[in-house]
Amino acid sequence: MRIDLDSAVPAYRQIVDGLRILLVSGKLAPGSELPSVRRMALDLGVHFNTVAEAYRLLAEEGWLDLRHGRSARVVYRDAPDPTSGTMKEFGYRLRALTAEMLAKGAPAEDLRTAMRSAAQELES
Amino acid sequence: MKPEVAISILPLVFVAAIFQFMPLLTRPGIFFGATVDPEFPRTADGRRLLRSYRWQSGLWAVIAIVLAFTLPPRNPGLVMLAPVLIMIAGSSCAYWLKFREVHARYGQRRPEIRQAELSARPSGESFKPWIWIPPFVAMLITAAYLQARWDELPMRFPVHWGADGQPNRWASREPLTVFAPLLIGAGMNLLMLALAWLFSQFARNTVMRRITVRLLEVLLYPLTFTFIVVALLPLGLVVPVWVIPGFMLACVAGLIYWSYRQIAAPAIADAVPEPQSDAYWKAGMFYYNPNDPAIFVAKRVGVGYTMNFASKWAWVVLALTLAILVGSITLARPAK
Repeated sequence: MRIDLDSAVPAYRQIVDGLRILLVSGKLAPGSELPSVRRMALDLGVHFNTVAEAYRLLAEEGWLDLRHGRSARVVYRDAPDPTSGTMKEFGYRLRALTAEMLAKGAPAEDLRTAMRSAAQELES
Repeated sequence: MKPEVAISILPLVFVAAIFQFMPLLTRPGIFFGATVDPEFPRTADGRRLLRSYRWQSGLWAVIAIVLAFTLPPRNPGLVMLAPVLIMIAGSSCAYWLKFREVHARYGQRRPEIRQAELSARPSGESFKPWIWIPPFVAMLITAAYLQARWDELPMRFPVHWGADGQPNRWASREPLTVFAPLLIGAGMNLLMLALAWLFSQFARNTVMRRITVRLLEVLLYPLTFTFIVVALLPLGLVVPVWVIPGFMLACVAGLIYWSYRQIAAPAIADAVPEPQSDAYWKAGMFYYNPNDPAIFVAKRVGVGYTMNFASKWAWVVLALTLAILVGSITLARPAK
């Protein structure tokens, strides 16, 4: 898993996003153990609290089981039904990201292809 | 040149050679501790900087050697130590000036992309305790052998030799003095064992970690052999004075050469790379990053690890290491 410490996105948010991609795509299956907070923080060169916060957020979403004295474990999770608010938030974030990429000169067709392949990759 | 004079300047020549090759003992893309284009050291500017540094470092080596010959021999410790320290200080200063120039004029900035392994049990070089068993067994056997031949040990035997090869310190036959070389050896081995374990647990999974742990494992064997030979000297084992330092220097030089070949190989990538920014490296040599929980960080120049001087635990480890080193030598040092 990779994060960019030069990015404006906070490190804990990048860790959450990176792990969620792996969880949704099934690359981190239920039962898998994640590295300890200490090991992950050491590898990434970030504070222990940054990783602990990322694990806590993913546990809140129902992805991880964080029991004291045990490593973080991926658990089976039923996807909840999306609310209208969730879809609205998604639409807003997608538009913002698309606008940012178009402003950087990315062709619209390439963005369409990238979005389709991302959805397919995560669905499978 | 007399053999004792050659022996006294041997460490100076060794340190001078290390400083001459130091800018090359690094990974591709690092030059004088600064991040540069991997091709930069081969450009005209790169070669000019290297030449200039080598002249300056060479000058300090000449000053140190002249000093070694001219210092009054009243205090042999000072004669041995002062020139080495002067050479280290002068060459380090020359190195630091070159780091500043390279960083300011030719330095590059790489994106600070960090990577983590996602398996609960990290891959890479693991700590292998069984490799460490034979040296301790060999020292135990030697101790048993000395115990069995206790009556053959002379009542008084030499324990220290001067640069001229003549004994200059003696000890009487007592358990602490007879077993002192083995005790020091065991202490050194335990220290190296602890360091290897600390690196395997508290350092990132890099090529340097693999090299360093392997280096400590291999170095343990010539070191143990040396202490065993020294322990057996009172039984009448005759070894020319140059053999032990020469043997150790040859082993260290061989290991440095092997390490350099490993580090410089561009095809080997780190599973978990170290932080890239030059901002964390003071004078190109000292790592200081308060946001990084790592205690040990792979050195940019040379082989092994340096510490994250922003971590209080690094200072604790440093103090403990020094205490063990000084303590084991002081405790086992026999009276004159």
